[in-house]
Amino acid sequence: MALLQISEPGQSTAPHQHRFAAGIDLGTTNSLVAMLRSGEAVCLADAQGRALLPSIVHFGEEGTLVGVDAAAVQASDPLNSIASVKRLMGRGSEDVMRLADALPYELITSGESSVPRIRTRSGDFSAVEISAEILRALVERAQQTVGAELDGVVITVPAYFDDAQRQATRDAARLAGVKLLRLLNEPTAAAVAYGLDQDKDGLIAVYDLGGGTFDISLLRLHRGVFEVLSTGGDSSLGGDDMDHAIGEWIVARAGFDQVDASLARHILMASRAAKEALSNGQSAQIVIEGSQHSWSGTLARTEFNGLVEGLIAKTLTACRRALRDAGVKREDIDEVILVGGSTRVPLVQSMVAEFFARKPMCELDPDQVVALGAAIQADILVGNKPDSDMLLLDVLPLSLGIETMGGLSEKIVPRNTVIPVARAQEFTTFKDGQTAMSIHVVQGERELVSDCRSLARFELRGFPPMTAGAARIRVTYQVDADGLLSVSAQEVASGVSAEIVVKPSYGLTDTEIETMLRASTEHAREDIELRMLKEQQVEARRVIEALDAAFAQDGDDLLSAEERAGIVRQRDALEANLESASTADLKRMIRAVEAASEFYVARRMNRGVQQALAGKQIDEVDV
Amino acid sequence: MRRELYRLNHSSSSMQSPDLSQNYFELFGLPVAFDIDRERLRTALRQLQASFHPDRHVNGSDRDRRMSVQVASWINEAHETLQDPVKRSRYLLEISGAEIVDDSATTSDAGFLMEQIELREEIESCREDKDGLQRSQQVADRLQRRADQLTNEFVSCFAAGNLAEAMQISHKMQFIQRIQQQLDELQFDLEGR
Repeated sequence: MALLQISEPGQSTAPHQHRFAAGIDLGTTNSLVAMLRSGEAVCLADAQGRALLPSIVHFGEEGTLVGVDAAAVQASDPLNSIASVKRLMGRGSEDVMRLADALPYELITSGESSVPRIRTRSGDFSAVEISAEILRALVERAQQTVGAELDGVVITVPAYFDDAQRQATRDAARLAGVKLLRLLNEPTAAAVAYGLDQDKDGLIAVYDLGGGTFDISLLRLHRGVFEVLSTGGDSSLGGDDMDHAIGEWIVARAGFDQVDASLARHILMASRAAKEALSNGQSAQIVIEGSQHSWSGTLARTEFNGLVEGLIAKTLTACRRALRDAGVKREDIDEVILVGGSTRVPLVQSMVAEFFARKPMCELDPDQVVALGAAIQADILVGNKPDSDMLLLDVLPLSLGIETMGGLSEKIVPRNTVIPVARAQEFTTFKDGQTAMSIHVVQGERELVSDCRSLARFELRGFPPMTAGAARIRVTYQVDADGLLSVSAQEVASGVSAEIVVKPSYGLTDTEIETMLRASTEHAREDIELRMLKEQQVEARRVIEALDAAFAQDGDDLLSAEERAGIVRQRDALEANLESASTADLKRMIRAVEAASEFYVARRMNRGVQQALAGKQIDEVDV
Repeated sequence: MRRELYRLNHSSSSMQSPDLSQNYFELFGLPVAFDIDRERLRTALRQLQASFHPDRHVNGSDRDRRMSVQVASWINEAHETLQDPVKRSRYLLEISGAEIVDDSATTSDAGFLMEQIELREEIESCREDKDGLQRSQQVADRLQRRADQLTNEFVSCFAAGNLAEAMQISHKMQFIQRIQQQLDELQFDLEGR
């Protein structure tokens, strides 16, 4: 429906009706779901009172297990217990092969699809399908807690996630059959969780050190609007590196000459335990008892600090870069928030405090804070707080480019550009008579395409032959509020629109998702056709409601009687056939209403722009 | 600095796309001029996004959601253009009907070329210098004075209706901006060492 509804905050036209929405932190090791309960965000626990859901899916003889139950059988049936699947999201066969040593699964990388799959006794599954299982378990928990269907969820992703990883997360939500309101960056969610939007205006730094990744985000808060000024970090730096540093220290101290896989696991577990003990104590006892090797010793906190100082210093370099990208100085930062389990390490807290010259906020559980923020945002997005002024203006985390001659990436949308954004660039042919052009979309900061992530390949075909350099190929990148990209291309000089074939480099195609939807046990029982018809009927009702609301608001001002009658004719036809028409006919009729009301929408939009400014400018303009 | 107001006659007949009737200045309720009130620009951005951002239309119809992405993108693009002095100068010329020419005249201006080479060499020499950071700050100050000077020249040229020359100055502003970015990169490296 071509009718953008413009409503001032606090002037919602629809009668208020409570909707249920949840925030989901889909983590590498653990996942959480949170909701607003009596006005406060809380993480929902299972029947045993556990909030953390281990991100593990087990495919057993008697069905699929998720979470704690899957973790319980992981040791006895490792090949069918899939963990850490987040690391495979949006990744291609090559990346996955690189991880293959660390993963005990049988990976299938051949076949038609560009997406690798994991072989289990129940079949071959992509990371998206396995994530969908985890999502289903979390949604189920939420629905049982509130005793109602969820109207939507917000899922958090690391700020550093590229387009392929975000697309994969969105696909997982689609497969799980849950409406995705928004993909939210984890650090942004943390800032929301601290309720800083209720607070005074200022600059906020979110320092997020997890098990395997580090993210820094700088946000500006002004009258309830969060602007992400910049994000940065290191996608392979985290608490695991601290464990490894301790592990190497143990190996050196103990003088182990050969470390096999079993001993390495022992050492790493002991290292992690020592690190956790050192969060409160001044020293930690370490005992290694292997079949061949054993050792015991004491690690003092000062010694531990020496081991990890370099790692933490690296995170501070990323902080400096983020400050520079945002064009702010460290003394301008008003609040620093700590997120992620690794921020429990005292040296992290003190070095961050020293760097920003202020005590960081760490009152909320650093493991839960992201899910809590997501829940608050979900509640607002779903429409439960029509009076809320809160708005998140986010930026693109990684530059989007296109491959040009010589294997170089030309940036079309630079990182830290405010999204949503649309950018177009023109390219030309280099051969006489050339009638096709292949377009390679990449993401990343490096100059060489081979150092960037490949997102998609396009072919633009069928434009008329011209001399070299005469064709004008206009490539448009559109990034939505979730940071997801869509690309279109057109030859401008001839005015001929050309055909585009999209091959996502590491993503599932729509056909693949369709097939999965049909195949998934959840939907097999349902009639897919009926479901699509229902969806289209809902859409048709939305279209009619939006139009009626608009007529009531300004139909008399903006339309002549004749113009209005033209729109009403199409609207009435849609309404009259709403229950009886087929899916295809409903689609066609909706399009007819859209076409008939196009000019009306344009007028409303122009008026809306004026009103958005005029409504508040009198009292706000001279602040 | 003088504040020049230029009312531009823009056709408001085009209705296919909702926003073509407004230029970026009008969109933000700002006078069409090079000097802008940054605080007002930022406030207007938030006000517009409060109405049009996709997060405000999550429960809308498919078309509403698609459109909100387009409109919010357009608003962001307008903001990006106006908040950057070089882009703003180019945009002003564009909507004033100036002929858009490439920067070949600027790159063949021998004096300006020499100035640039000199600046680049000076920046590079700071890298090896132990007092490089301090020296680079002097270069930064000099660059800023140069940028301010060009801005003044642009404003008076534009006011006098000398659009062709204003275009050349806009190109020069862009060159200086690039050198400033290069220096910024260097200073970041120097601070870290």
